[in-house]
Amino acid sequence: MIAALFYLQYQTARNRLVSRVKRLKQPKYLFGAIVGGLYAYFYFFRYLFGGLAGGRQAAINPTISPEHLQMFELGGALALFVIVLLAWIIPHERAALTFTEAEVAFLFPAPITRRNLIHYKLLRSQLRIFFSVILLTLFSRRLGGNSLFHALGWWMILSTLNLHFLGSSFARTLLLDRGVSNWLRRLLVLGLAAAMAAGVWLWAKRTLPAFGSADIANFDSILDYAQRLLTAGPALYLLFPFRLVVRPFLAPDTAAFFGALPPVLLIFLLHYLWVIFSDVTFEEASVEASQKLATRIAAVRAGNWQAAKKNQKARRAWFRLAATGPLPTALLWKNLIGVGQVFSPRLWIVLITVVAVLGVSFGNIGHNQNFSYLAEMLIAIALGYSLLLGPQLLRLDFRHDLPRADVLKTFPMRGWQIALGEILAPVAVLVVFQWLLLLVGAGLVLYLPGKQTALFLAIAAGAVVLLPVLDALLLLIPNAAVLLFPSWIQTGKDSPRGIEAIGQRLIFAVGQMLVLLLALLPAALAFGGIFFLLKLTLGLAAAVPFASLAAAIVLAIEAGFGVMLLGKLFERFDVTEEPAS
Amino acid sequence: MVQVEGLTKLYGEFTAVNDLSFSIQPGEVVGLVGPNGAGKTTTLRCLAGIIPPSRGVVRVGGHDIVRDAIAAKKQLAFFTDEPRLFDYLTVWQHLNFVARIYQVADYEKTGNELLAELELADKKNALPGELSRGMKQKLAIACGLLHSPRVIYFDEPLTGLDPFGIRRMKDSILKRARGGAAIIISSHLLHLVEEICSRILILKNGRKIADGTLAEITRKFSEQPGDANLEEIFFRATSETGTPAEPPVLPPEIK
Repeated sequence: MIAALFYLQYQTARNRLVSRVKRLKQPKYLFGAIVGGLYAYFYFFRYLFGGLAGGRQAAINPTISPEHLQMFELGGALALFVIVLLAWIIPHERAALTFTEAEVAFLFPAPITRRNLIHYKLLRSQLRIFFSVILLTLFSRRLGGNSLFHALGWWMILSTLNLHFLGSSFARTLLLDRGVSNWLRRLLVLGLAAAMAAGVWLWAKRTLPAFGSADIANFDSILDYAQRLLTAGPALYLLFPFRLVVRPFLAPDTAAFFGALPPVLLIFLLHYLWVIFSDVTFEEASVEASQKLATRIAAVRAGNWQAAKKNQKARRAWFRLAATGPLPTALLWKNLIGVGQVFSPRLWIVLITVVAVLGVSFGNIGHNQNFSYLAEMLIAIALGYSLLLGPQLLRLDFRHDLPRADVLKTFPMRGWQIALGEILAPVAVLVVFQWLLLLVGAGLVLYLPGKQTALFLAIAAGAVVLLPVLDALLLLIPNAAVLLFPSWIQTGKDSPRGIEAIGQRLIFAVGQMLVLLLALLPAALAFGGIFFLLKLTLGLAAAVPFASLAAAIVLAIEAGFGVMLLGKLFERFDVTEEPAS
Repeated sequence: MVQVEGLTKLYGEFTAVNDLSFSIQPGEVVGLVGPNGAGKTTTLRCLAGIIPPSRGVVRVGGHDIVRDAIAAKKQLAFFTDEPRLFDYLTVWQHLNFVARIYQVADYEKTGNELLAELELADKKNALPGELSRGMKQKLAIACGLLHSPRVIYFDEPLTGLDPFGIRRMKDSILKRARGGAAIIISSHLLHLVEEICSRILILKNGRKIADGTLAEITRKFSEQPGDANLEEIFFRATSETGTPAEPPVLPPEIK
């Protein structure tokens, strides 16, 4: 029977690979794969292969002292201890192995033993662990040394943890079956943890010198105290199994690596036996978990991240929508309700309150000029990030509604009206956020020296008029891209995956950047021209807002044309286009 | 009310709909039937202005669906087999939104009546995620009927409905037809088509192979008048050889 499960796993992986290779016949996937492959090689694999090639290298950079190595081991063991402890405290559901709906439909009614289902699940989890190992090895290569040993070390840590999570979920279910509630179990585990902590504290109090300010004077003294605390007494025994698990990863040389292997393999084996011989029913909870997972995946693939969340609540509209009036307002109203799933009115009230409190606090201490400069700089950075990330994060526009393009197309609206309505919500949210930041910034400016106050206020005034049109332009570009190349961008049905998808996104990011630069050029020229003219006549503080206004007008004209173009693109958009896959 | 002249839809070299022409009068219920891949959904999508025809003209209420799309779309409603709703809008917010799109000034009265008729009145504040499949279908119908369309297209309207829902849906379709709406129903449920459609249009490989009342089509495809039902006619009309299908396997007798 296990052979059939192997066959399923093998064929699934093989067919997925074959379909990926086949679609490379299409240029968009081929170019994506080339760019994605180059990116992955130059940023990740070059170092990994370099590490693997250097097989004679030590596992860890030999320049790291044995004391530091011990600290790494202690830190790793402590982290594992905390993870394991949390695994016994936080979860509350019965044991549920998450299968896909197809697996549930085919495997659960089939004559397959529960043990074989667990084996299949463990086999599947190995694929996930494999990719996690690659990723973690790429990150941990900074420690230097042999990447192969790092990879094997990570595999042992992750596989043992995986088995422990499974085993603890089985134990949790058995306790629930025997009437031990989640809260009672938590109390018992926390009580045990408290007893361990008390034991360590008592031992430290009796054995170690009294803890004083000298122990926290600097980082080294803190490390020194932690080392004394964790390498003797009860903590030594408590952390010992966890230290064994991380030891192969930190082995300084080949001999140490192979020396550290037997104990960790024994721990792994014991975990495996624990999981395999646990007689726990997991099928019912698994079916439920699989359905939830399927619903969530479907929602995410439909570009609807909000629906994928648990406990989605009905939200009130941000304003009353009259039955008659401009049509784009209807889409703004609709999308703002969607945005409201994250940016609820309550969040805005909290945000405004925080800003007001910060403003008053800054005002009180704002007499310190350095502090005001620092705060202004932070606000400028936040504004920059809002321009950079805002249009990518706020996707309640065509990127979200494209899977329902057929519904939008039945509306008696012109293309430009739909286009305008679609981008209005993210623009509105971004503008409110940015104007709030500017308000705080303007308040702080009052505490800067005279001339600088005028200049900062001028910049803020310029930003007030520039930001809305800039936001609109920044949102028009990805929206146009999604209508032009719907199968390249994650919109719905199936989001692209794999190295070719990374490449496609890179190509798109570069393309969008170029379009943005091109769009900004006329506005920059208008700004520059007006600025230099007015600076000579009216001065710097007056030149900035007027030049910004000129640039904003140019950008607004561009945005107007952009909306018309986006509308035309939507009118021509064929809803039967190949979906992303 | 609906005029279709030479409608053709091409996907590359593949012809999904081929030179289709017909017209529908107010109060008429037309059944669009055909095997899978016959072009039924593509035809409906072209008629609704969702996808542009490659060739031909579609007029809804005298307005060209391509050139005068706004005026044409104001008069029609299209119900897909899978209700397409916005996950984050409640039942009432859906109606409010649609009212603005179609500029229905008195939508509150009509909306409440529709919700009562479709037994959704107590679900006004529910999100689509909280509704059953049938309720979602009803909400889509309420949204579509809010602006009192004169032309209505249904694509597999009975999918997912329970027997009560099926009965209500049939009554609702006939009620709108009696009110003067022109209706097209695309369905594989031949009994439904036979029961409520005044005219039947059979498509095969994107081409119209029959168009007329059940009696007219029966005459065309029967060896003798009145010797077959729509199911039998369908098999004869759409089979490659034009011969009758094998007789259906009957259920075993209960002793």
